[in-house]
Amino acid sequence: MPDTVSHSLALSTPPDDVNAVHELLERVWDSSAGVPDLDRFSFETALIELASNVIRHADGGGGVSCRLAVTVHGDRLEATLMDTGEPGDIRLSDAELPDDLAESGRGIPLIRALVDVVEYDREADANRWFISRSLAR
Amino acid sequence: MESDITHRGDGVAVLALRGKLNMVTAPVVRETITALVGDGHSRVVVDLAEVPFLDSSGLGALIAGLKSARQAGGDLRIAAPSEQTRLVLRLTNMERVLTPYDTAEEAFARA
Repeated sequence: MPDTVSHSLALSTPPDDVNAVHELLERVWDSSAGVPDLDRFSFETALIELASNVIRHADGGGGVSCRLAVTVHGDRLEATLMDTGEPGDIRLSDAELPDDLAESGRGIPLIRALVDVVEYDREADANRWFISRSLAR
Repeated sequence: MESDITHRGDGVAVLALRGKLNMVTAPVVRETITALVGDGHSRVVVDLAEVPFLDSSGLGALIAGLKSARQAGGDLRIAAPSEQTRLVLRLTNMERVLTPYDTAEEAFARA
Protein backbone atom coordinates (compact mmCIF):
# COMPACT_ATOMS: atom_id res chain seq x y z
CA MET A 1 0.00 0.00 0.00
CA PRO A 2 1.44 3.43 -0.89
CA ASP A 3 2.05 5.74 2.06
CA THR A 4 -0.66 8.25 1.20
CA VAL A 5 -3.57 8.08 -1.24
CA SER A 6 -6.10 10.92 -1.58
CA HIS A 7 -9.50 10.94 -3.28
CA SER A 8 -11.87 13.85 -3.53
CA LEU A 9 -15.36 14.63 -4.59
CA ALA A 10 -17.50 17.72 -5.25
CA LEU A 11 -21.11 17.20 -4.28
CA SER A 12 -24.21 19.37 -4.63
CA THR A 13 -27.53 18.52 -3.02
CA PRO A 14 -29.94 18.09 -4.65
CA PRO A 15 -29.59 16.03 -6.82
CA ASP A 16 -26.50 14.43 -5.24
CA ASP A 17 -26.95 12.51 -2.01
CA VAL A 18 -24.92 10.37 0.41
CA ASN A 19 -24.69 7.58 -2.16
CA ALA A 20 -22.04 9.74 -3.88
CA VAL A 21 -19.98 9.41 -0.69
CA HIS A 22 -20.39 5.62 -0.72
CA GLU A 23 -19.19 5.61 -4.35
CA LEU A 24 -16.12 7.71 -3.47
CA LEU A 25 -15.28 5.28 -0.67
CA GLU A 26 -15.57 2.33 -3.05
CA ARG A 27 -12.81 3.94 -5.11
CA VAL A 28 -10.78 4.56 -1.96
CA TRP A 29 -11.03 0.91 -0.83
CA ASP A 30 -10.27 -0.34 -4.35
CA SER A 31 -6.98 1.53 -4.34
CA SER A 32 -6.07 0.73 -0.72
CA ALA A 33 -6.58 -3.00 -0.42
CA GLY A 34 -4.63 -3.23 2.83
CA VAL A 35 -7.17 -1.40 5.02
CA PRO A 36 -8.80 -3.94 7.40
CA ASP A 37 -12.58 -4.48 7.13
CA LEU A 38 -13.34 -3.17 10.62
CA ASP A 39 -11.54 0.10 9.84
CA ARG A 40 -13.29 0.40 6.47
CA PHE A 41 -16.82 0.03 7.70
CA SER A 42 -16.22 2.02 10.89
CA PHE A 43 -14.80 4.95 8.92
CA GLU A 44 -17.48 4.66 6.21
CA THR A 45 -20.24 4.74 8.84
CA ALA A 46 -18.75 7.83 10.52
CA LEU A 47 -18.33 9.65 7.22
CA ILE A 48 -21.85 8.82 6.01
CA GLU A 49 -23.26 10.02 9.36
CA LEU A 50 -21.29 13.25 9.01
CA ALA A 51 -22.35 13.85 5.39
CA SER A 52 -25.96 13.01 6.26
CA ASN A 53 -25.91 15.58 9.06
CA VAL A 54 -24.47 18.25 6.76
CA ILE A 55 -27.02 17.52 4.01
CA ARG A 56 -29.94 17.40 6.45
CA HIS A 57 -28.85 20.51 8.34
CA ALA A 58 -28.31 22.52 5.16
CA ASP A 59 -31.55 21.42 3.62
CA GLY A 60 -33.30 24.72 4.30
CA GLY A 61 -34.42 24.76 0.70
CA GLY A 62 -31.36 25.79 -1.25
CA GLY A 63 -29.37 22.60 -0.86
CA VAL A 64 -25.66 22.59 -0.12
CA SER A 65 -22.37 22.28 -1.99
CA CYS A 66 -19.64 20.18 -0.42
CA ARG A 67 -16.08 19.27 -1.15
CA LEU A 68 -14.95 16.01 0.38
CA ALA A 69 -11.40 14.67 0.53
CA VAL A 70 -10.51 11.25 1.91
CA THR A 71 -6.89 10.36 2.57
CA VAL A 72 -5.48 6.95 3.40
CA HIS A 73 -2.24 7.24 5.35
CA GLY A 74 -0.12 4.28 6.36
CA ASP A 75 -1.48 4.44 9.91
CA ARG A 76 -4.83 6.27 9.68
CA LEU A 77 -7.84 7.26 7.59
CA GLU A 78 -8.81 10.93 7.34
CA ALA A 79 -11.65 12.87 5.77
CA THR A 80 -12.21 16.61 5.41
CA LEU A 81 -15.64 17.85 4.43
CA MET A 82 -16.14 21.54 3.54
CA ASP A 83 -19.69 22.77 3.01
CA THR A 84 -21.29 26.08 2.13
CA GLY A 85 -24.20 25.64 4.51
CA GLU A 86 -25.12 27.81 7.47
CA PRO A 87 -22.71 27.76 10.43
CA GLY A 88 -22.98 24.30 11.94
CA ASP A 89 -24.76 24.20 15.25
CA ILE A 90 -24.35 20.44 15.45
CA ARG A 91 -23.08 19.93 18.97
CA LEU A 92 -20.14 17.61 18.89
CA SER A 93 -19.55 17.57 22.62
CA ASP A 94 -22.83 16.49 24.21
CA ALA A 95 -23.12 13.33 22.24
CA GLU A 96 -25.38 11.24 24.46
CA LEU A 97 -27.53 8.50 23.03
CA PRO A 98 -31.26 9.26 22.96
CA ASP A 99 -34.05 7.07 24.43
CA ASP A 100 -34.29 3.53 23.08
CA LEU A 101 -37.35 4.23 20.95
CA ALA A 102 -36.23 7.63 19.61
CA GLU A 103 -36.01 7.57 15.82
CA SER A 104 -33.14 10.06 15.50
CA GLY A 105 -30.26 11.57 17.46
CA ARG A 106 -27.71 8.74 17.18
CA GLY A 107 -25.55 10.16 14.37
CA ILE A 108 -23.13 12.27 16.41
CA PRO A 109 -22.67 9.67 19.21
CA LEU A 110 -21.94 7.10 16.49
CA ILE A 111 -19.34 9.32 14.82
CA ARG A 112 -17.61 9.88 18.14
CA ALA A 113 -17.56 6.14 18.86
CA LEU A 114 -16.17 5.24 15.42
CA VAL A 115 -13.31 7.69 14.91
CA ASP A 116 -10.50 9.03 17.10
CA VAL A 117 -10.69 12.69 16.08
CA VAL A 118 -13.71 14.83 15.21
CA GLU A 119 -13.19 18.55 14.58
CA TYR A 120 -15.35 21.39 13.38
CA ASP A 121 -14.23 24.89 12.30
CA ARG A 122 -15.99 27.75 10.59
CA GLU A 123 -13.64 29.05 7.89
CA ALA A 124 -14.69 32.16 5.92
CA ASP A 125 -18.08 31.19 4.47
CA ALA A 126 -17.68 27.45 4.84
CA ASN A 127 -17.95 24.77 7.51
CA ARG A 128 -14.96 22.48 7.81
CA TRP A 129 -15.40 19.04 9.31
CA PHE A 130 -12.50 16.68 9.93
CA ILE A 131 -12.47 13.07 11.11
CA SER A 132 -9.57 10.66 11.61
CA ARG A 133 -9.39 6.99 12.57
CA SER A 134 -6.19 5.16 13.45
CA LEU A 135 -5.76 1.85 11.65
CA ALA A 136 -5.71 -1.42 13.56
CA ARG A 137 -2.28 -3.00 13.63
CA MET B 1 -33.29 -0.31 -2.26
CA GLU B 2 -35.13 -3.39 -3.44
CA SER B 3 -37.32 -5.49 -1.21
CA ASP B 4 -39.23 -8.79 -1.24
CA ILE B 5 -42.03 -9.71 1.13
CA THR B 6 -42.73 -13.36 2.01
CA HIS B 7 -45.83 -14.23 4.03
CA ARG B 8 -45.06 -17.34 6.03
CA GLY B 9 -47.59 -19.97 6.99
CA ASP B 10 -47.36 -18.95 10.66
CA GLY B 11 -48.50 -15.40 9.85
CA VAL B 12 -45.06 -13.81 10.04
CA ALA B 13 -44.14 -11.42 7.22
CA VAL B 14 -40.48 -11.51 6.15
CA LEU B 15 -39.28 -8.30 4.53
CA ALA B 16 -35.98 -8.98 2.74
CA LEU B 17 -34.11 -5.79 1.87
CA ARG B 18 -31.36 -5.44 -0.70
CA GLY B 19 -29.01 -2.44 -0.73
CA LYS B 20 -27.66 0.21 1.63
CA LEU B 21 -30.02 1.44 4.33
CA ASN B 22 -29.14 5.14 4.70
CA MET B 23 -30.90 8.54 4.62
CA VAL B 24 -31.79 7.98 0.95
CA THR B 25 -33.52 4.63 1.43
CA ALA B 26 -34.73 4.87 5.06
CA PRO B 27 -38.02 6.69 4.19
CA VAL B 28 -39.00 3.94 1.72
CA VAL B 29 -38.25 1.19 4.26
CA ARG B 30 -40.24 3.02 6.92
CA GLU B 31 -43.24 3.33 4.57
CA THR B 32 -42.97 -0.31 3.48
CA ILE B 33 -43.10 -1.54 7.10
CA THR B 34 -45.92 0.86 8.01
CA ALA B 35 -47.96 -0.40 5.04
CA LEU B 36 -47.27 -4.02 5.97
CA VAL B 37 -48.45 -3.45 9.56
CA GLY B 38 -51.42 -1.42 8.28
CA ASP B 39 -52.46 -4.41 6.17
CA GLY B 40 -52.68 -6.52 9.32
CA HIS B 41 -49.21 -8.07 9.34
CA SER B 42 -47.96 -7.04 12.76
CA ARG B 43 -45.31 -9.75 13.16
CA VAL B 44 -42.47 -8.68 10.88
CA VAL B 45 -38.94 -9.96 10.32
CA VAL B 46 -36.60 -7.59 8.49
CA ASP B 47 -34.03 -9.78 6.76
CA LEU B 48 -30.78 -7.79 6.45
CA ALA B 49 -28.70 -10.52 4.77
CA GLU B 50 -28.36 -8.39 1.61
CA VAL B 51 -27.90 -5.05 3.40
CA PRO B 52 -24.17 -4.31 3.51
CA PHE B 53 -24.58 -0.95 5.27
CA LEU B 54 -26.97 0.53 7.82
CA ASP B 55 -26.62 3.94 9.52
CA SER B 56 -28.59 5.88 12.15
CA SER B 57 -31.22 6.86 9.55
CA GLY B 58 -31.76 3.19 8.78
CA LEU B 59 -31.90 2.43 12.49
CA GLY B 60 -34.57 5.13 12.82
CA ALA B 61 -36.68 3.45 10.12
CA LEU B 62 -36.44 0.09 11.90
CA ILE B 63 -37.37 1.67 15.25
CA ALA B 64 -40.38 3.38 13.62
CA GLY B 65 -41.38 -0.03 12.23
CA LEU B 66 -40.89 -1.67 15.62
CA LYS B 67 -43.17 0.89 17.25
CA SER B 68 -45.94 0.49 14.68
CA ALA B 69 -45.73 -3.31 14.90
CA ARG B 70 -45.96 -3.21 18.70
CA GLN B 71 -48.87 -0.75 18.61
CA ALA B 72 -50.69 -3.29 16.44
CA GLY B 73 -50.01 -6.03 18.99
CA GLY B 74 -47.08 -7.60 17.17
CA ASP B 75 -43.33 -7.15 17.03
CA LEU B 76 -40.50 -6.45 14.60
CA ARG B 77 -37.29 -8.47 14.64
CA ILE B 78 -34.17 -8.33 12.54
CA ALA B 79 -32.21 -11.18 11.00
CA ALA B 80 -28.76 -11.72 9.49
CA PRO B 81 -27.21 -8.27 10.04
CA SER B 82 -23.76 -7.64 8.57
CA GLU B 83 -20.70 -7.06 10.77
CA GLN B 84 -21.11 -3.32 10.09
CA THR B 85 -24.73 -3.37 11.23
CA ARG B 86 -23.89 -5.40 14.36
CA LEU B 87 -21.29 -2.75 15.23
CA VAL B 88 -23.83 0.07 14.77
CA LEU B 89 -26.35 -1.79 16.97
CA ARG B 90 -23.70 -2.35 19.65
CA LEU B 91 -22.39 1.22 19.69
CA THR B 92 -25.90 2.66 19.94
CA ASN B 93 -26.96 0.19 22.68
CA MET B 94 -29.77 -1.00 20.41
CA GLU B 95 -29.01 -4.73 20.60
CA ARG B 96 -31.45 -5.02 23.51
CA VAL B 97 -34.23 -3.38 21.52
CA LEU B 98 -33.51 -4.81 18.07
CA THR B 99 -31.99 -8.16 18.98
CA PRO B 100 -30.32 -9.67 15.92
CA TYR B 101 -31.23 -13.23 14.96
CA ASP B 102 -28.96 -15.27 12.73
CA THR B 103 -31.71 -16.15 10.25
CA ALA B 104 -35.26 -15.01 9.44
CA GLU B 105 -36.51 -18.49 10.38
CA GLU B 106 -35.15 -18.17 13.92
CA ALA B 107 -36.52 -14.67 14.50
CA PHE B 108 -40.02 -15.81 15.43
CA ALA B 109 -39.31 -19.47 16.19
CA ARG B 110 -39.89 -18.88 19.90
CA ALA B 111 -42.90 -16.61 19.52
